[in-house]
Amino acid sequence: MRFALVWRLLNSMFFAVAFCALLSQHGFAEDSNEQAVKFFRETVAPVLAAKCVGCHRADNLKGQFDITTPQNLLKGGESGVALVPGQPLKSSLYLRTIPHEGEKPEMPEKGEALTELEAESLRQWISSGAPWPEGFVLKEKSKADASFWSFQPLAHVVPPDVKSGPEAWRTHPIDRFLLQEMQAKGLFPNPPATPNEFIRRITFDLTGLPPTPEEIEQFVQACPNGLHDAAIEQLIDRLLASPRYGEQWGRHWLDVIRFGESRGYERNEIITNLWPFRDYIIRSFNEDKPFDRMIHEHLAGDVIGKDQPKIEVGSAFLVAGPYDDVGNQDAVAAAQIRADQMDEMIRATGEAFLGLSIGCARCHDHKFDPILARDYYAFYATFAGTVHGPREVATLEARQARAATLEPLQKLKQSKQNEKTEIEKRLAELKKTPPESASENSLEDSIATLQDRQGLLKGEIAELDTQISKIPALPVWWVGNHRSAPGPFHVFVGGNPQQKSEIVLPSGLDVFNTLPSKYEVADLTHEATRRVALAKWLTAPDQPLVPRVLANRIWQYHFGSGIVDTPSDFGYLGGRPTHPALLDWIAGELVKSGWKLKPLHKLILTSQAYRQSSDWRDDPGKLDAASRLLWRFPPRRLSAEEIRDSMLNAAGMLNLSMGGPGFRLYEYQQDNVATYVPKDVHGPETYRRTVYHHTARASRVDVLTDFDCPDPALAEPRRASTTTPLQALTMMNHQFSIDMATKFAGRLEQVSSDMSARIQVAYLLAYGRSPTDREISQAAKVIQQVGLKGFCHALLNSNEFIFIR
Amino acid sequence: MTTRRGFLETICGSLSGLGLSHLLMRDGLLANASAASKTSGSTWVPGIGQTHFPAKAKRVLQIYCPGAASHIDLWDYKPELFARSGQPLPGEENLVSFQGKNGNLMAPPWEFVPCGQTGKRISSLLPHMASHVDDIAFIHSMKAKTNTHGPGCVLMNTGHVQEGFPSAGAWLSYALGSENDNLPTFVALPDLRGEPPNGKANWSNGFLPAKHQAVVMAAHLDIRNLKRPASMSADEEAATREYLKQLNEQHLEKNSSETVLAARIAAYELAARMQISAPEVSDLASESMQTHEAYGTTSENKLLAAYAKNCLLSRRLLERGVRFVNLYCASRASGVDGLLNWDAHKTLKADYERHAPVFDQPTAALLTDLKQRGLLEDTLVLWTTEFGRMPTHQANTTGRDHNPDAFTVWMMGAGVKGGTVYGATDDFGRRSVTNPTNVWEFYATVLHLMGFDYQRLSWYHNGFDRKITDVHGRIIREVMS
Repeated sequence: MRFALVWRLLNSMFFAVAFCALLSQHGFAEDSNEQAVKFFRETVAPVLAAKCVGCHRADNLKGQFDITTPQNLLKGGESGVALVPGQPLKSSLYLRTIPHEGEKPEMPEKGEALTELEAESLRQWISSGAPWPEGFVLKEKSKADASFWSFQPLAHVVPPDVKSGPEAWRTHPIDRFLLQEMQAKGLFPNPPATPNEFIRRITFDLTGLPPTPEEIEQFVQACPNGLHDAAIEQLIDRLLASPRYGEQWGRHWLDVIRFGESRGYERNEIITNLWPFRDYIIRSFNEDKPFDRMIHEHLAGDVIGKDQPKIEVGSAFLVAGPYDDVGNQDAVAAAQIRADQMDEMIRATGEAFLGLSIGCARCHDHKFDPILARDYYAFYATFAGTVHGPREVATLEARQARAATLEPLQKLKQSKQNEKTEIEKRLAELKKTPPESASENSLEDSIATLQDRQGLLKGEIAELDTQISKIPALPVWWVGNHRSAPGPFHVFVGGNPQQKSEIVLPSGLDVFNTLPSKYEVADLTHEATRRVALAKWLTAPDQPLVPRVLANRIWQYHFGSGIVDTPSDFGYLGGRPTHPALLDWIAGELVKSGWKLKPLHKLILTSQAYRQSSDWRDDPGKLDAASRLLWRFPPRRLSAEEIRDSMLNAAGMLNLSMGGPGFRLYEYQQDNVATYVPKDVHGPETYRRTVYHHTARASRVDVLTDFDCPDPALAEPRRASTTTPLQALTMMNHQFSIDMATKFAGRLEQVSSDMSARIQVAYLLAYGRSPTDREISQAAKVIQQVGLKGFCHALLNSNEFIFIR
Repeated sequence: MTTRRGFLETICGSLSGLGLSHLLMRDGLLANASAASKTSGSTWVPGIGQTHFPAKAKRVLQIYCPGAASHIDLWDYKPELFARSGQPLPGEENLVSFQGKNGNLMAPPWEFVPCGQTGKRISSLLPHMASHVDDIAFIHSMKAKTNTHGPGCVLMNTGHVQEGFPSAGAWLSYALGSENDNLPTFVALPDLRGEPPNGKANWSNGFLPAKHQAVVMAAHLDIRNLKRPASMSADEEAATREYLKQLNEQHLEKNSSETVLAARIAAYELAARMQISAPEVSDLASESMQTHEAYGTTSENKLLAAYAKNCLLSRRLLERGVRFVNLYCASRASGVDGLLNWDAHKTLKADYERHAPVFDQPTAALLTDLKQRGLLEDTLVLWTTEFGRMPTHQANTTGRDHNPDAFTVWMMGAGVKGGTVYGATDDFGRRSVTNPTNVWEFYATVLHLMGFDYQRLSWYHNGFDRKITDVHGRIIREVMS
């Protein structure tokens, strides 16, 4: 103890010198409270914010100690009083942050200790009476601030001139960016792929299906001396115009926005009327709808496209996620459940469009990114009127037409109804108090007449009801409902709806508040205006994140990895761009083309980078094993959907009809809660493209789940590609594989009676290439052993079938 | 082709588990693997049996009783609840909970009996479990974040109330990889009555690679697609596999740098071995009559017999090196409260007198068996449920409503201090008051016993280094030996 005290005294003396310098620097006059407050704000508070607040704040409360406000700081924590103003040596706030007897300081428990200078500032501040600025609350600082790369405006970039390297790589802007970066690392790219490889690669990429043998032949013929620009361009145009494009790229987007057709959670009831939204996505991609428009429709389709179902359905985006619909009598729990629903919408929006984990600011300011809890609740206020559920969706004309048919019938029914009521009243009166004048007979007569009329009316009304029921109802879709939500809206401390603090208004993110697009909706009369305002803000010309994030997604689906490899996280924890200038350039091109994706695809696909071969070379491999610098084209495994569709395709069984309610590869059972039991046999009604599968949550569906098709409980901006023995079991043993092998074999039998011709076609269908002589003889041998079906079964299971170079 | 991390992990994980890691020691790959982790600066490599530090336990058996098994009727003895039955719950006379209004305090319909050396009392509903009380560390002060079954189950199994997060078994599968070369790493055994609330989300791999999902099997349920289709003879299968292998090997020759192609060949071989080993594990006929009788597999009570078979199957899986067995006793809720699981809203006595015998004998026999075979020395046993029940009865019923503010879980086996009680509820079991704890501290402790620092076992997903303990956690050292 004595040593410790001596140390402290020595320490103070030592620091007295250092501190003088500090004082003069800050112009800190003695006894000037104002100066002391300033000193606290500028020197002490940043230290506490960086090193203490992480644990000692209201929503973390390590040691039951919160230092963010003067009241709570003075209250102390588990270990008693922490701050005695004027007496640093009685304040554990100071004592526990300095070293004792050579030991490292007790606090902070995690992270770096206070520097000597910092500790001394703290001591001085306590000595000076620990003044605290009025209303000031200490906040933990996020790791990234407004100066972080992804928050900067899109740079106006000019593609570099590259003076050396392969001639072909010095023309296309994309290649110039890439080659420059490669050369900086001493790398050079691969030569072009073969025409066979290329057409298989690009056809899967744009359509999710392999090229037909005819398409392959045509393309190969058009490229007699290797890949040829005009042939490639023609091919790209054909593929982008194919309706299969929207199915493939729409599926990517459905992953990003966690589209699922069951409610999730405990009851997980199936949603049978969300498919129009899936069709809307596919249609929008096929039409090349400008993406800024699409964002408007996602957030406020019901507003900007009122009575236009094809647009209105876009806002089903908000309610396409899972939510808890069990219900709760406990008001506190019910409020929490509602907050969870809002949270789901906020996360989905933040991740899909901004590439930011806004959800992390639910309980406190984001620890890594400059996203405030206030921002989170500004989004909360934006969506506060939105609830899950179905709604009638129809054009004005359809509504009017229906009303026009309905109205005369209802009018007629009403008049008959009125007459019937009148008669019933009279009958009741007659029976109760017969008129004195009437004879018994005449009374009976009039009752009988009335009863006849009553019977007739009953029949007529029933007939009218039948007619009315035959008028088709207007469509009811799962597009959500929007209710008035006048607020006020608060920040929930620690994410707890029971602990409200400051009031917030619907707005964009604070970090972008210096931009002209900044907004705040003060008039809360119409909830719709907030969603429209948000969509406008997201697509404003000065908003850099949205185009960057979108362009990066497109790049990722073409090359397997984005320029930023965390496509829904452009924050501090996310990846950094491998080619920042290129990213800004393609984002700029995207905006220039009016937010249309097809021109961007074409731009990327016409590059040398996209057409180079996948061949591995050890030297560049050592430097860049993941091929992020694109010294080769990164090969990939097909997605679950592509695998299943390719099996159907090889078997000649793929039904290409588009849209409408999905098919199911499970049996749906409901007994209070839903159970999805995977089917052992898949009938022909399921032989459609997998994008039309009814995507229920928490339903395990053999080939889909085995090959990393995500459960849409969460968004999946980048699928995994894993290898498991379950894949092998499914592909070998599930009846679907057997059925496809059988049909595949049947198809070959019809092609030709010649065995090597059959093998030839099988290879083209499965691998997109012709077999070698050796392969033909191996195949012929196995066909003798196990028949054509066994041969086809092996092809469908083989690596080459599901890998593309 | 795959995420960088997924790619490395495929290499370091799945193959090394098959003893093929030598295939993959391409320059620098293993060194890169640790760099792939954003939080860990160490050289720990996932999926090859390495731990952060020496482990007490090698594998986990997690028994789960869905429906919120009542702490105050099974494990947490509250004499005051008996003494003041029929009186209002002090301070919460107008309590409204999940299903609505509550009545007065209601004593458990069964007495609590002192057990073993410690004399710790548990319900007389569980006479067989009484013999294990001295080996159990009870945690009586659990609190849940939700009062709804689905989110509660998922919270207990994944550490998050939302779906889509990896379950404990998936985390350990990722962390450790396989301990055997012919069976899955993580197995879930649903009850004969069906899946638990929120179904497959309870054993999901979440955002971890698909291979970390549980393989679902039970005595009444084969592994999906395990069997060769009837239309194919064994010879045909063998010839097809042989030809497939030839195709794949020739393809690999032309793409020799693509390790994932080699991984897929290995996966087909593992699948073939599973086709042989899994039926062998599930074949309970090789067990002695005494064993069957001890577990109760021949009971006339069909539910008891079915659960007993799953208990026996669990032991066989653990014996053969399955890392994580997730065993369920009861299922989702049906339209009738308390019929299919422990959710006794209306008729506690009748419900639990149906459910408790199903659970009691087989579970106790499984624990005895594990102990006798020495498996408890490196197997950690967990008993869990999603939350507790109210000490009051639900208005106009003789059942209890959901209580997220207090419930009991327990641990036993490797690294666990038997005969311990950690934490306590108030006089009635209404709230956790002494050392309140939660699922995050529970799993921090489980991971610690398995040799992992819960703060380092993480996976980056959508902007966050995700952990089973979320942003919480603390090791409950009091329950460790």
